[in-house]
Amino acid sequence: MNDGFEVGIDELFVVNVARTIKDRSTVFHGVSSPIPMVAMYFAKLTHAKDMVYFGGVSSAVDPNPPFLPYTTNDWVMIQGRTAMVTVDKIFDLAQRGELDRSFFSGAQIDKYGNQNVSLIGTPEKCKIKFPGGAGGCNLSADCVNYTIWTTRHRVQRKKDRVIYALVEKCDFITNIGHVTPYGNRRDLDLVGNGPDWVVTELGVFDFDPETKIMRLRYLYPDTTVETILENTEFRPVIHPEVRIMDMPTREEVELIRQIDPLKVRQLEFQPEELKRKFYI
Amino acid sequence: MGIFVERNKLTTLEDAARMVKDGDIVAIGGGLCLREPIAMLRELIRQGRRNLHIVGTAHGFDVDLACGGGIVGTVEETHVSFEQDFGLAPNYRRACESGAVKIKESCCNTIINQLRAAEFGMPFVPMRSIKGSDEIRFHPEYKEFTDPFTGKKVILVPALEPDVAIIHVNKADIHGNVKIEPPYVADVLFMRASKKVIVTAEEILPEEEMKKIGPTIPYYEITAVVHAPFGAHPTSCYPYYAYDRAHIAEYMRAALAGPEAFKRNYLDKYVFGVKSHAEYIERIGGEEKMRLLASWKESREKWMELFTYE
Repeated sequence: MNDGFEVGIDELFVVNVARTIKDRSTVFHGVSSPIPMVAMYFAKLTHAKDMVYFGGVSSAVDPNPPFLPYTTNDWVMIQGRTAMVTVDKIFDLAQRGELDRSFFSGAQIDKYGNQNVSLIGTPEKCKIKFPGGAGGCNLSADCVNYTIWTTRHRVQRKKDRVIYALVEKCDFITNIGHVTPYGNRRDLDLVGNGPDWVVTELGVFDFDPETKIMRLRYLYPDTTVETILENTEFRPVIHPEVRIMDMPTREEVELIRQIDPLKVRQLEFQPEELKRKFYI
Repeated sequence: MGIFVERNKLTTLEDAARMVKDGDIVAIGGGLCLREPIAMLRELIRQGRRNLHIVGTAHGFDVDLACGGGIVGTVEETHVSFEQDFGLAPNYRRACESGAVKIKESCCNTIINQLRAAEFGMPFVPMRSIKGSDEIRFHPEYKEFTDPFTGKKVILVPALEPDVAIIHVNKADIHGNVKIEPPYVADVLFMRASKKVIVTAEEILPEEEMKKIGPTIPYYEITAVVHAPFGAHPTSCYPYYAYDRAHIAEYMRAALAGPEAFKRNYLDKYVFGVKSHAEYIERIGGEEKMRLLASWKESREKWMELFTYE
């Protein structure tokens, strides 16, 4: 038996998202974003003490919540704040090119980092309705950079078909990645530089500087390049120095457990995934 | 916006709801699990309003209830869900997928800028951050335009002036001065941009009391005031009450079971089956329930319990 300190995939995942946050940057998370919410709070207490933390829809500046809630617009998320701003001020900041980072996900994410959070079908004839991107369309265009996260990289196998979350092409583009059918970001004169990191439960990607296609950088101790290829509809670029992601320290994991006693970081994972454990 | 100088704007929920007409563009205040004007929406469903064009930023229970209650024709929202707590919004999804409601999905800053254009008295606002997204396909009214100063392409989005905003607030006086506790979400923008503003309020204060605490919004922007304690239930209205997870769990069970089950097990019980807002409060558990939902302030542990009880 392994007698090391046990780390869950949810805890490692939070740390991986937090690693995309730089100190002294302005950072915002939106609705339905439990993992970015935990990751931002964690980053603020560890390596990014001077980040400007906008607490989600509630628009509290540098909140110090007593615990993290299941929803992003609860009063929990404005406790211990320095100030309140109105949400339009955060969007203005982004529009001016001064919001450094945000976090977006999608039911479909394509090889250029576009995301579909809207629907399958067409606006006139919708087959499957997703919740919608909230601020994602505008902020994905305007943020200096953003992190994409998904806990649903692993394919779902239904009776007669395989459903990918990481797809060759999105049925509908809600949030903007690097290249769209309407042009690339430079053609479109967008303010921001687009997604720079993609964190999934199978690995961590950046984007190939030449092709702007997702590029595998890190694996987990229990995943391989083959795992990635089997579960991804497109062929990602494989970085020549792909390696296993560094584990967090015991102190870091204990801090996550302390700030997130309700385990909101686990809400997005399938129960099977939560059985994955790593040891440090 | 309009200018409303009547000295006494206090009215009933029933009469205020009659100010909302079939087909109106209706801005709904609050958002997600917080301070949504649910008492007013229940009344609009009871009165059989039809074909409303709902606008808002990120919402949940309100839009789902309105879709399930059959009063919606168009949804112009940026996000509708119960987030990761209860997940996707069942009535909203059914209405979109069956074609019962027209989808005009938008993005937060687009809607905010459209409201600001209305607030500024301008016909449109230029934006960049829609280019590249298929969201443009929901909106044939947007126009591409060449910025005459830089020669770059921008998208012009029209001002958004809702016919009526329905907003639940913490405190109001009968003149229409309003106190809202943050987060404000888009409430202040909605008030400024809409032709009429109906507020439901937890408390009605004497005007002298309101002067002491200072209103968030002055009286002349508000059309009508309704006293509706617990008017946001089952969403939260802090500091009075946290959101009611047990009630939302019951709602979700009914909504996920299909439209008939939703009518039988939810609407007939909590909307059509009560004659008034006061009767509704009794049906959901009255004072005892309200004491429970106010227990968040006693301790961190009590507050956490409200996120786990069902």
